[in-house]
Amino acid sequence: MPVFKTPFNGYSVKFSPFYEDRLAVATAQNFGILGNGRLHVLSLSPNPSQPFTEIAAYDTADGVYDVAWSESHDSLLVAAVADGSVKLYDTALPPTSNPIRSLREHTREVHSADYNPLRRDSFLTSSWDDTVKLWTLDRPSSLRTFKEHSYCVYSAVWNPRHADVFASASGDCTLRVWDVREPSSTMVFPPHELEVLTCDWNKYDDCIIATASVDKSIKVWDVRSFRVPIAVMNGHGYAVRKVRFSPHVRNLMVSCSYDMTVCVWDFMVEDALVSRYDHHTEFAVGVDMSVLVEGLMASTGWDELVYVWQHGTDPRAP
Amino acid sequence: MEKAIHRQRVLLKHLQQNPSHSSFHLQSTHLSASACVAGKSSYGKTDASEVDDNDVVIVAAYRTAICKAKRGGFKDTPPDDLLASVLKAVIEKTNVKASEVGDIVVGTVLAPGADKLVECRLAAFYAGFPETVPIRTVNRICSSGLQAVADVAAYIKSGFYDIGIGAGLEYMTQDSIITTLRNSNPKVETLAQAQDFLLPVGITSENLAQRYGVTRQEQDQASVESHKRAAAATTAGKFKEEIIPLPTKIVDPKTGEEKKIVVCVDDCIRPNTTLMDLAKLKPSFQKNGSTTAGNSSQVSDGAAAVLLMKRRVAMQRKLPILGIFRSFATVGVDPAVKGVGPVYAIPAALESARLVLSNIDLFEINEAFASQFVYCCKKLALDPKKVNVNGGAIALGHPLGATGARCVATLLHEMKRRGKDCRFGVISMCIGTGMGAAAVFERGDT
Repeated sequence: MPVFKTPFNGYSVKFSPFYEDRLAVATAQNFGILGNGRLHVLSLSPNPSQPFTEIAAYDTADGVYDVAWSESHDSLLVAAVADGSVKLYDTALPPTSNPIRSLREHTREVHSADYNPLRRDSFLTSSWDDTVKLWTLDRPSSLRTFKEHSYCVYSAVWNPRHADVFASASGDCTLRVWDVREPSSTMVFPPHELEVLTCDWNKYDDCIIATASVDKSIKVWDVRSFRVPIAVMNGHGYAVRKVRFSPHVRNLMVSCSYDMTVCVWDFMVEDALVSRYDHHTEFAVGVDMSVLVEGLMASTGWDELVYVWQHGTDPRAP
Repeated sequence: MEKAIHRQRVLLKHLQQNPSHSSFHLQSTHLSASACVAGKSSYGKTDASEVDDNDVVIVAAYRTAICKAKRGGFKDTPPDDLLASVLKAVIEKTNVKASEVGDIVVGTVLAPGADKLVECRLAAFYAGFPETVPIRTVNRICSSGLQAVADVAAYIKSGFYDIGIGAGLEYMTQDSIITTLRNSNPKVETLAQAQDFLLPVGITSENLAQRYGVTRQEQDQASVESHKRAAAATTAGKFKEEIIPLPTKIVDPKTGEEKKIVVCVDDCIRPNTTLMDLAKLKPSFQKNGSTTAGNSSQVSDGAAAVLLMKRRVAMQRKLPILGIFRSFATVGVDPAVKGVGPVYAIPAALESARLVLSNIDLFEINEAFASQFVYCCKKLALDPKKVNVNGGAIALGHPLGATGARCVATLLHEMKRRGKDCRFGVISMCIGTGMGAAAVFERGDT
């Protein structure tokens, strides 16, 4: 299975929605605490001796905490940078023209970026300045700023069915659901006693959302009745950094954690843990499942490695 | 820097174990960041905000040449001239005003204490220090020079003063090693270990060689290596950076004729030493023993001085930093085999600096006797390519009080030459009466 070594510590990995063999990796020097960052765009090849080709690599003055592919242009990427800027890159343009835009509005680290898969013209960024911002590609400034959280917003993700709805996960221990047409959040509830580090919508049921937290658990909720979770999944040894629902299987989801493992869960089953992958030797902080290839997953961690493997196989097998 | 601290805090909170309703306040947790030595790196682009202003740094370290006692270049030189030359050098070369020095501590061993202190104070005057600068001596025998540097570092860290000089001076042309105690307390007869204190150091070397199986061959080989390396370093001009040439006089013992000379080269080194030559020497301390004059350190004259200050002060004055003082440790060992000192002192100093042996790139281990030097290197499994790379006391000489400070100069200058590959260095020695001392230094960011 292909492994790519990044010079800096990995922070996030995302498959391209256009090309099966393409992915982007966000990395930051010195574990993202101090130093530069680099955004890699990689291409997978069937050639086993050189499984990865680097199509592009963009250096940034501070760590890149997250990356999002555009849904409208196959060569466009959005980078969430630790210095508070949001940078747009176009791999079709020469390196000297990149970044094509640098948006400076967030006053603290930008922790996540997510592109609207339905409208395809806009994207969200969430930041440690407690806000979420909505942007479009053509405008130099944000369309809206959503300011309600009282601590770092770690993630803001679009609902896959409702083009104007998104959810945000914050260190203030709440999950908020928003509609961009409304002036304030439509729903707020505390899924965990500790910081909520990540959330993701189910790809088949638009009311189901998963949250994961510093409390080491992953919970799946129906937003229509958020008093009691549909499922609670324990098993990680430390805080869970990211969760992603599978684009292909309704009940399947993947998570990565500070316990250095990547786990796959079936939340409708009593014994939810399907697989545990312990290939990383440092915090596993980024994970993604491909929309185009069923079962293909990628993960990255602070051990400076990016693994791409098929669910059910060993990521470390050659 | 604030950003980095904030990010660390955010990440640390992800790892906290206790549930709390408020995630804003820092909870005490059994998981906490430990002080990271790597963060104080002086590698590459030094982000001024990354380093600790309270570090004690060395901005200058110089020594005189080391000469054979009674027969070498300094045999007719007043010892205070030796000390004065290096005290003057550390001040002149850094443009620090002599009056700014908070204290001078001189390691010195054999001369009577009060006499030597007066001599050192005179040396300070000759070097241009005003009467307002105090001075004292320290005696922990072979480690005195290193102890002096450590004392100054400790006082700077405690805030007693910001700038200090740790130095060493020994004039063995005049002062010999004492072989008997001044007073004999009858208790000495009763305490078994006390008997060992009376052992001449050469006997302790034999004890060690026998107890730990260090052969005559191994000891002679260590001597050959020491001479070879010291000679090579001298030829390559490596010592030129650390030696302060001293204009002095020398009197021909036969004719009484006085000649003016400038001493700038170590004259104890025998570049053509071979195993065959050494094998011919008779054991010096014990019949059928293995310790000879050829594989022991040489009695000699020399001085060295090290200028230390708070990093904050060095940066204010834009002084290049030669080295950073990291830790110092002393331990007591069995006086009968006092040579094992470094085996215990080095791990203690490493632990204090939160390092391990594999972090250390360069060692200066005093070669009091080849027997103990060989044993210590073997016991600690040190890479010979990293130890005494420019020779040691067997070739260079061991002016007791000066050695520790001399090693600081030699170590730091060699680390500077080696550059980024050489980050941490250790100086260590065994000590008469059964002790060991060791100190860890980090390369500066010159």
